[in-house]
Amino acid sequence: MTLQVLMMQAQFSKANLQATGLTCALCSNAINKALKQLPFVESVKADIKNSSFSIVFRPGVEVKPDAIKDAVEGAGFFVGGLQVTGSFNSLNTGPDGIIKIGTSWFRFLKVSNQVLNGEVTFTLQDKAFLTAKAFKKISSTVKIPSLSTGKAEADQVKSGVKKGERIYHVTI
Amino acid sequence: MFSLKQTIVVLILLFMSTMVQAQIKQGYKAPEVALPAANGDTIRLSSLKGKVVLLDFWASWCGPCRISNKGLVKLYPKYKDKGFEILAVSLDEDVDDWQKAVKKDKVSWLQVIDKGGWESGTVNQWRIVAIPTSYLINKDGVLVAMDLEGKNLEKALNELLGD
Repeated sequence: MTLQVLMMQAQFSKANLQATGLTCALCSNAINKALKQLPFVESVKADIKNSSFSIVFRPGVEVKPDAIKDAVEGAGFFVGGLQVTGSFNSLNTGPDGIIKIGTSWFRFLKVSNQVLNGEVTFTLQDKAFLTAKAFKKISSTVKIPSLSTGKAEADQVKSGVKKGERIYHVTI
Repeated sequence: MFSLKQTIVVLILLFMSTMVQAQIKQGYKAPEVALPAANGDTIRLSSLKGKVVLLDFWASWCGPCRISNKGLVKLYPKYKDKGFEILAVSLDEDVDDWQKAVKKDKVSWLQVIDKGGWESGTVNQWRIVAIPTSYLINKDGVLVAMDLEGKNLEKALNELLGD
C-alpha cells in the first residue's frame, strides 16, 4: 500500500526539451503552442542559454514523453533531446533497472539496484528523443533491441513489464 | 426563396470571410501598437506617423533575430535622419534578458516589450507565428512590405524616403 502510494507520487515536475529542424525551433510559435495543448503541460518557456524549451508540468497529471514527441513532430520539428526531472522517495531501480512511473515503464541504461531519492533528472535515450548522431552513439554501446523499438522484450518481463509494452530508456 | 437556416449560413460565411480579410496585409493600415519601453513610457506606433517605420518582432532567445540586429545596427544610422525609425517589439518575458540583449547588440532604436510572449495581445493581433518577423510601414501608416532585410530593405527605404 505504502509502496503503491509512493510509486503513484513519483511524478515528473519539469523538463528541458531540445528541438531540431530546418529553422530555429525556439523562434516558432508552433512547438510552444503544441506543447501547451498537452494536458500535463503547465507552462513552456524559451531557455536561451541551452537553446531549449523549459517545460513545467501540471501536478497530478501523468507526463507522457511520447505525447511530447508527437507535439514537437506535429509542429514540424524533431526532438533532439529530452530531460525530465522528478522527485523520488527511495525508489529502487531493481536488478534490471526497470521501474514504472504512472503507466509508463522506464529502463535505466547502465544503472541497476540504485535508490532514487530527491530530485533526479532522466535523459531519454530512445531513438525518437535523440539526434541521429547521439542515438548512433548510444546504440553502439548499449545493445538491447528495445532501445530501437521502444517495446519491452521477453527477457524484461520479470520486472513486471509485459512483452511489447512501451518502455522508455533513460540515463541519469 | 431562402430559408432562415440558409440565410444564417450565408451570414456566417460572410462574417467569416470578413474575419479572414482582417489580416495583416500589404496595402492595409497598420493596427496600433502601444507598448511600454524600458522606462515604462508607452510608445505608440501611431506617434511615428510621417516616418517610414520598420516594426520588428524579436526576442533575446531568438538566434536569427540577434543576427538580424547586426544588419540593422549598420543600416539604421544611414537612414535615421532621413525619416526612418525602427520600433522593435520584444517577446521576452524577462525584462533583464531583453535589456541585456539590447545592450549587447548595441541597438539604439525604439524598443518596447510585449511581456506575454506568444500569448500577448500585440503578437496575436499581428498574427506573429515565428520571429524574426518585420513589417515595413510607410509615412501614411500603411503596410508596404514584410520581412525585408539587407539590400532589399535598403532598396525599399530609398524608394519610400525619396521625395
